[in-house]
Amino acid sequence: MTGAGVLVGAAIGIVLLVWVANLIRHDRLYIGYGVIFVVGTLAAMVVLIVPSLLDAVTRGSIALLPVAALSLVPLALFTFLMVYVFAQITILSNRVTRLTQELAIRNARQEPEVDARSVESR
Amino acid sequence: MDIQPTRRSRSLVAIPAYNEAATIRTVVDRVRADLPACDVLVVNDGSRDHTAAVLSGSGILLANHLCNLGYGRAIQTAVLYATRWDYQQLITLDADGQHDPAQIRALLAEFDRGDWDILIGSRYVARKRYDGVPIGRRLGMQLFSALVGLTAGRRIYDTTSGLKIIGRRTFPALADWHFIDFHAEALVYLMRLGFRIGEFPITIGERRHGQSMYSALSHVKYPLKTVLMLVLGIVQAGVTRRKAP
Repeated sequence: MTGAGVLVGAAIGIVLLVWVANLIRHDRLYIGYGVIFVVGTLAAMVVLIVPSLLDAVTRGSIALLPVAALSLVPLALFTFLMVYVFAQITILSNRVTRLTQELAIRNARQEPEVDARSVESR
Repeated sequence: MDIQPTRRSRSLVAIPAYNEAATIRTVVDRVRADLPACDVLVVNDGSRDHTAAVLSGSGILLANHLCNLGYGRAIQTAVLYATRWDYQQLITLDADGQHDPAQIRALLAEFDRGDWDILIGSRYVARKRYDGVPIGRRLGMQLFSALVGLTAGRRIYDTTSGLKIIGRRTFPALADWHFIDFHAEALVYLMRLGFRIGEFPITIGERRHGQSMYSALSHVKYPLKTVLMLVLGIVQAGVTRRKAP
């Protein structure tokens, strides 16, 4: 890959990382999903930046399935789309969580106190 | 309409419980015997066993999550409940019977004496070592203890303890922020906001029933999630402090 290609790839990775971190910080992406995107993006960036790793991955991937470099564009778009979908799932999940907590608090009940000894004597 | 509890105390003991039918009644009875002046709230976190049924006739407050939300959210429910009914302190302990409620009185005394915002019942602060802890878990505890020291300026030796006294001043921060399990990530966030968090030595018993909330996979996910949340907590605390009047 050319130097410009590496720079563009790294820039896309940084944008993705910042976006994911911001979504997690605002409770719009569940940390469990977010950590997968963060680890995946960091791993991809390391592969992109370290030439020997990039060579090894390129050789390996071409041996398995020859693909054009342009196929990385839809892959990046797909990743951004995945983040968006998971963010929407998280927003819905947060609404359910708030509702569940509110119901628990509103319906919290005081259990009657039954003396164990009086139960036994009956 | 909210059902107001029969308030007797300014302190609320909160016990999050998920599938703890085997131990919860004993824990509740011990808490009520050792801390008769405190109200007791069990947050039944969507248990699929008879956790709610065994509490019948126990005289405690019972809040049921309709589905399982996880430990952190169960603690948050207790915080929201304590906020709504104006409790001054929230005491959390585990439902598995490992904590001895008799030790809470000493913890409460230190909480008042030390003017703490949160006081953690710590298994390791007395010796400052993790004797008897399996190697993997020990490494994790050392890592997070060191990270808390590094990022918050005060080392906490037992970041995963379930026995804590939480002061009212911290309730708004805990209700707003989405912590994972109220461990290192929450402690750092609160310390960066300026709250005083300390440790007090306790001893714990063996878990006799049930299983840990951490599966094999979570031993990989937990450190990654906690480190990421810890970093974001530092950023968020900075933003919050800048916005504060």
